Amino acid sequence: MPRLSLSLSSIPPALIIVLVGLPVCAALYTGVMAGDGATWDHILENRLVPYTLTTLSVLVLSAIIMLGLAVPTAWLISRYDFPGRSVFEWAMILPLAMPGYVMAYAWADLAGVAGPLQSALRDLTGLSARDYWFPNLFSAPGLSFVLASTLFPYVYITARAAFSLQSLATLEAARSLGANAFHVFARVALPAAAPAILGGLCLALMEAAADYGAADFLGVQTLGVGIIRSWTSFGEPNTAARLALALILIAGTFLVAARTFQGRRGTQQTSSRWRTPNRTKLPRGMAIGMTLLCSWILLVCFIAPVSRLAWLAIDHGAQGADLGALVRSTLILGALGATAAFLASMVFALATKRSETLRMGARIIAAAGYAAPGAVLGLGALFILRETGQALSGVIAISFLIWIYVSRFTSAGVEPLQATLDRLPKNIDHASRSLGTVGLRQFWRVDLPLITPGALAAALILFVEILKELPATLMLRPFGWDTLAVRAHAYATDERLAQATLPSLLIVCAGLGPVLLLSWRLSRTERS
Amino acid sequence: MTFKPHYIAGLSLLVGAVAACSNPANTSEPSATEAPQPVLTIYSSRHYDSDKELFAMFEEQSGARLDVRESGASQLLETMKAEGDQSPADIVIAADAGSLWRFKDAGLTQSLASDALQNAVPANYRESDGHWYGVARRMRGIAYDPTRWSADQLSNWQVLAEEDKSGEICVRSSSNIYNLSLMGEIIHRYGSEAAQSWATAVVGNMARNPQGGDTDQIRAIAAGECSIAIVNHYYWIRLAASENEGDNEVAASTAFLLPEFEAGSGSHVNITGAAVMATADSLELAESFISFLLTETGQDYITRDTKELPLIDGAPLPEGVDKVPAFTASDTSLDIYGENQAEAQRLFDLAGWN
Repeated sequence: MPRLSLSLSSIPPALIIVLVGLPVCAALYTGVMAGDGATWDHILENRLVPYTLTTLSVLVLSAIIMLGLAVPTAWLISRYDFPGRSVFEWAMILPLAMPGYVMAYAWADLAGVAGPLQSALRDLTGLSARDYWFPNLFSAPGLSFVLASTLFPYVYITARAAFSLQSLATLEAARSLGANAFHVFARVALPAAAPAILGGLCLALMEAAADYGAADFLGVQTLGVGIIRSWTSFGEPNTAARLALALILIAGTFLVAARTFQGRRGTQQTSSRWRTPNRTKLPRGMAIGMTLLCSWILLVCFIAPVSRLAWLAIDHGAQGADLGALVRSTLILGALGATAAFLASMVFALATKRSETLRMGARIIAAAGYAAPGAVLGLGALFILRETGQALSGVIAISFLIWIYVSRFTSAGVEPLQATLDRLPKNIDHASRSLGTVGLRQFWRVDLPLITPGALAAALILFVEILKELPATLMLRPFGWDTLAVRAHAYATDERLAQATLPSLLIVCAGLGPVLLLSWRLSRTERS
Repeated sequence: MTFKPHYIAGLSLLVGAVAACSNPANTSEPSATEAPQPVLTIYSSRHYDSDKELFAMFEEQSGARLDVRESGASQLLETMKAEGDQSPADIVIAADAGSLWRFKDAGLTQSLASDALQNAVPANYRESDGHWYGVARRMRGIAYDPTRWSADQLSNWQVLAEEDKSGEICVRSSSNIYNLSLMGEIIHRYGSEAAQSWATAVVGNMARNPQGGDTDQIRAIAAGECSIAIVNHYYWIRLAASENEGDNEVAASTAFLLPEFEAGSGSHVNITGAAVMATADSLELAESFISFLLTETGQDYITRDTKELPLIDGAPLPEGVDKVPAFTASDTSLDIYGENQAEAQRLFDLAGWN
């Protein structure tokens, strides 16, 4: 009987796995099958190791920065009270609305040698630009900072959800056994939340690995930059696709490592006392410190870069041509892409819940798409287009673009859904089955109400991610479908940063709505 | 698992929605009785608002509708290869001769033997068989701190490799197409070995890692981080002609020159050019479009925002471009840039030019 149910229920998820995996497989297949050439030899001999090491160092450093920003703040915001807490609770998610490349433009302008910070420093001290040391944003640590500052909310969201939903009984037991506040955090709360935090971190790191825009702008030689360089400088898209394999292997290693760790450490919540405990009021000194820390994080990761862009737009009198049309195509593509990717995520998360093999397969395929740069998936789409003998216009182009969104972002939808499902006690599933509530009825009456918070989070994250997407949209959009990201990129590549600010700010604005909704929803889940 | 039909229904709805929303720009389809409106499809690697005005003007003048896809040259090339015979592309516009060479090399262009065009465009700014025609010029040169260097000290590219330039040079990353084209000409003139030595010496003289765009290099001179920057002329002109005072001050504190490779060699020139694709529906319409780009009006719009140099005699100079010093163009065939592009990147990699 289990065998039969597995084989029947495997069909829809298997189809979606093929759909999600085909573009990345097409790209990798073409890359691996193309013969070695002088370019590949050159890259293998001279560039592969530096690219890989740079990528790894950026990822490790980003991970440290993200954990440092997200975990302590999530814990303190969940458990303690201090001035501004209720604002920081949702505001910490705002940087998610900022694309990495926009953050790079803004901070490069702020912290560059000709920017306001260094100019003020020179005016104050009378030093010349060669006389002092200043943190160099155009470096691997600089790139790590830029990526971490836009992606840490992923870790914050999962960490806060995990801390808020921790069994009160466990924490009370620890306190009654004499553990002080720090020990409760370090020895009880953190280990219990670690699998969820790691899940969020994995997602953020895959996104960071796939980055091209920020790395290219800051001149850091990551694999993402190497991949595009193989294509544009050497004129060999096949070599680019082959090099993407290295990136996907790195992401795959992360995922398997995280999964192994989660499997070993994962805790099944059995207590149903999920009520958030009353928050402890922080002592005055610490409360002020916490308020300052949260304000500083928000200032660096959101307020300063957004204000700088706004100031540039005003100072240069930036004017936007047909911004309305750009907003419209951005929103339509975002909605279509998010809907499609959300449906794929739901199939993955629900239909694979009784087969561990299928689930792992689905997650790895989705992760491969998520870790692959959008341009590589775009190439995959072009390789498939070639087989169909069609022109890239109208419905064909939109379908390919939506397909690539699904292939690229399903992972970002699966993870929040999966996290919600993992938190549900297994006995609910068994209970509903024993009461004869199975199949569609089980989905409507049991699964759907339970996963609604996770589903909403997944849908909103997908929408925001697709709003920010650039390389695949640039390649595959049909005639007349420029998005805000495409226009911002066009101005930025032509070094008209002032003009690029308006579409960039509009991307942030368009992303803010969903991000605020997500914040509000998370807070509500926490309180209920 | 009986809920799966819902997913299928959802997906079909989505496909329906996609079909309903596609092609918003072209709502006015011609009715069956009228002659169909001719369509000229342009794949362009340029992104300027003034280009859009120019295209609208051609639509009005010719009665044709223009469909324009703007993307990177490499992306457009790969799209065309994937579309094969079905490609709607009639014209490709690229902001670099090397890119146009790649389209020709891939067999995607066709020869347009037009006497009028060949008379309008000087021989070294077009492909000899008419596979592409230049429509504007862009010059890679040197912006410098005039309190530190005189123009004579920077009169050729080779001096950037000399020891007295140590810690003085700012430049962007090597994968930038204009650096690749410049390197392509150096390889053509002096061979790979000498080109690599030159690049290695320049890397040794850099004030900082290659980063940012050309404008950032000019700003770095004004800020005092370096005194020499390798940049295209129009970035310097745009700062000088900007309505922002800070930009004007940056330009005023620097100077710009067009070095030769050696005395009498002429200066490195690049172009924006247009090519007619093998898949073009109407050669006549394609030719009239390129001819339009080479009228005084066309040249005005092409160069107005970009601050490129017009290509035909008598075309109005965009505001501020008169500051570009007079030069003699190098006689190297522009096809060389494309042919040497991969080698240029390889040598840059070996030289450690990020």
